[in-house]
Amino acid sequence: MTPQAVPEKSTTTSEECTIVSAPPPAFGAGNPSADCIADSAGGLTFDLDAPHGTDALDAAAHWSGALVLRRRGGDEESDEVRLPLAPNGEGRLRAVLPSTVALPEGRWDVHVACGEETPRRLLPGLADLRSLVDRRPGPSTSPLAVRIPYTTKHGNLSLRSWQRAPHAEAGDIYVGDDGVTAHGTLYRVEDPGAWLDDAVLEARLRRDRAVTVTAAVAGEGQDFTATLDWAALCAHWEGGLDVWDLWLRRPDGSEEVRIARILDDIADKRHVLTFPVRSFAAAYAPAQVSPYYTVDNDLSVRIEERPPVG
Amino acid sequence: MHISFLIHNAYGIGGTIRTTYNLAGTLAEQHDVEIVSVFRHREQPVFAPSGKVRLRHLVDLRKNGPGYEGEDPEYLRPAAVFPATEGRYKQYSALTDRRIAEHLRTLECDVVVGTRPGLNVHIARQARGGQVRVGQEHLTLSTHSAPLKRTLRAHYPRLDAVTTVTEADARTYRELMRLPGVRVEAVPNGVPAPALAPAEGDGKWVIAAGRLAPAKRYDVLIRAFGKVVAERPDWRLRIYGAGAERAKLRALIDKLGLYNHIYLMGPATPLEPEWVKGSIGAVTSSLESFGMTIVEAMRCGLPVVSTDCPHGPGEIIADGTDGLLVPVGKPDAVAAGLLKLINDDELRRRMGAAALESSARFDPGRVAERYETLFTDLRARGALRGSLHRTRGALLSTAFRAKDRGRAALRKARAS
Repeated sequence: MTPQAVPEKSTTTSEECTIVSAPPPAFGAGNPSADCIADSAGGLTFDLDAPHGTDALDAAAHWSGALVLRRRGGDEESDEVRLPLAPNGEGRLRAVLPSTVALPEGRWDVHVACGEETPRRLLPGLADLRSLVDRRPGPSTSPLAVRIPYTTKHGNLSLRSWQRAPHAEAGDIYVGDDGVTAHGTLYRVEDPGAWLDDAVLEARLRRDRAVTVTAAVAGEGQDFTATLDWAALCAHWEGGLDVWDLWLRRPDGSEEVRIARILDDIADKRHVLTFPVRSFAAAYAPAQVSPYYTVDNDLSVRIEERPPVG
Repeated sequence: MHISFLIHNAYGIGGTIRTTYNLAGTLAEQHDVEIVSVFRHREQPVFAPSGKVRLRHLVDLRKNGPGYEGEDPEYLRPAAVFPATEGRYKQYSALTDRRIAEHLRTLECDVVVGTRPGLNVHIARQARGGQVRVGQEHLTLSTHSAPLKRTLRAHYPRLDAVTTVTEADARTYRELMRLPGVRVEAVPNGVPAPALAPAEGDGKWVIAAGRLAPAKRYDVLIRAFGKVVAERPDWRLRIYGAGAERAKLRALIDKLGLYNHIYLMGPATPLEPEWVKGSIGAVTSSLESFGMTIVEAMRCGLPVVSTDCPHGPGEIIADGTDGLLVPVGKPDAVAAGLLKLINDDELRRRMGAAALESSARFDPGRVAERYETLFTDLRARGALRGSLHRTRGALLSTAFRAKDRGRAALRKARAS
């Protein structure tokens, strides 16, 4: 069992995220804003204006500013990360979050702390996330760091963070009449080709973890393809909502990895990467089936009743 | 110069508001500039005007605020000065009539600029003598209803200038309206240089952005992209924006099996960080009064494939040099345009660089200069012959109004 296997929550999180450059909050809301540039390795650079009446050099020297990241819902010491602010050479202050600084998975709210003052939330400025689009990490076995800045529904700056090794990135997904075919790419294992050899795709029923359905995986290098049949999933369905979480697993159970889609700039896939819903004649009743991305951008399949016509 | 803009609601979201803020902010570098908003419905404006621009309102619609005027009896009576033929007539009232009249009667400025037809009518009728009166057209004359056109014909002779955002629309104004002595001039909207480095042009993404409205014809873009994917499955399309068409477009994407290749991204402000993620911009509208998104994409270094629809795209894109113009409503033509740039990396980069260069003419600084020149000319001219022009304008207005009234009466007689 690897540490990335965070238990699925069946409830959604309280704060939905919109895309990172959603409408800006009203100006003059008071809090400072930070521009953000992402590098392709997972590092982030934040630039913000020095507080009023100081220049960046003064501010850095006399005012011990820091960018403070706090993990939502956490109160452990590891749930706070402080990044020093230093002049960026262009009259502003800069903080850097390198990919090597561990940021446990979750939502991190971004604050600025000036000396003894209570840290204040930062507002999003310009976010240059172009190097996150179509990320293709190189070979390595250290955990893959993914941090995507986004604007919360209250208009504040936060980060989504993932830390995974191995990581199975979902690619194109095809929704067919008989089943769903998932393409993907495996990262952060010594030998992806060998790992995928004999590996299976395993769907786990969320309401009863003991129930699983597996499908063969075809691997080519680090790329994989597998098809799950609706019939196999629907055989367990007895009305209501069934959710199946999709994993890749070594045949001997020694390693497993949740299939997710995190290697781009889209913090929340649910409303952007959506799939058609298919009707399937399940034994219990006519069902609707479709793959979807969870609030954590993990890939799952949903089976539910067909809504009444009209 | 002291320049005063009159706008419907400076506290909302929209192209006119954004453009007015851009222009006012740039003019404020050299001049004394204010924006007067007829309505105020929220505490803070969505877009921030430059610190040098003064912003005030005439009617307070902040619900639960101490100055809320939405239940004032005068506010509930219909407007008499603001023309009934204007699209926003229902939002105007006896109260706005009175407040705008008082504002114009007491306004101390050199140039007063209206930003929509009804407000231009107020200015034509009520601005003080000696002030330069400019009416901006942010849409196009041809999209206005016939009754509104008649209203404008009656009142615009008393303006000093009408500005349009395209040459095509300026021509229409000159052809359809008799506006002797009124300068009709096309001044494009300004688009600031983005604060990010331009697109590199090597990502395999086509980007489109705009309201998901029928006139944007995203259905054509989606069908066109299906043809692109058939040849180049390594390229994908992002469409930014919100709107009533979303569910329909979603269904079309799913029906055509393009859900792995076309993403409906939702709204994004600002758009620059999204444009630079792509290598080609796409516009498939059937109508663009100006074509703001085309300029935005070009300022980010993207070559744009656009339909050659009325009125803006053809005046923004130099076909084959800094982008491509294709016929309206033809998925095959749009696909061919996109594939031309997709299949030729060198051509795409060259056109992207050309787009970056040619779109600099839309810099707010350059646009503001054109306004400045126009205002200065009009002031000089006004000093010589302002009162004569206005007397003639007033006479013409009366004549047209009489004629239009006659026409309306005739129509009524015919109809009955």
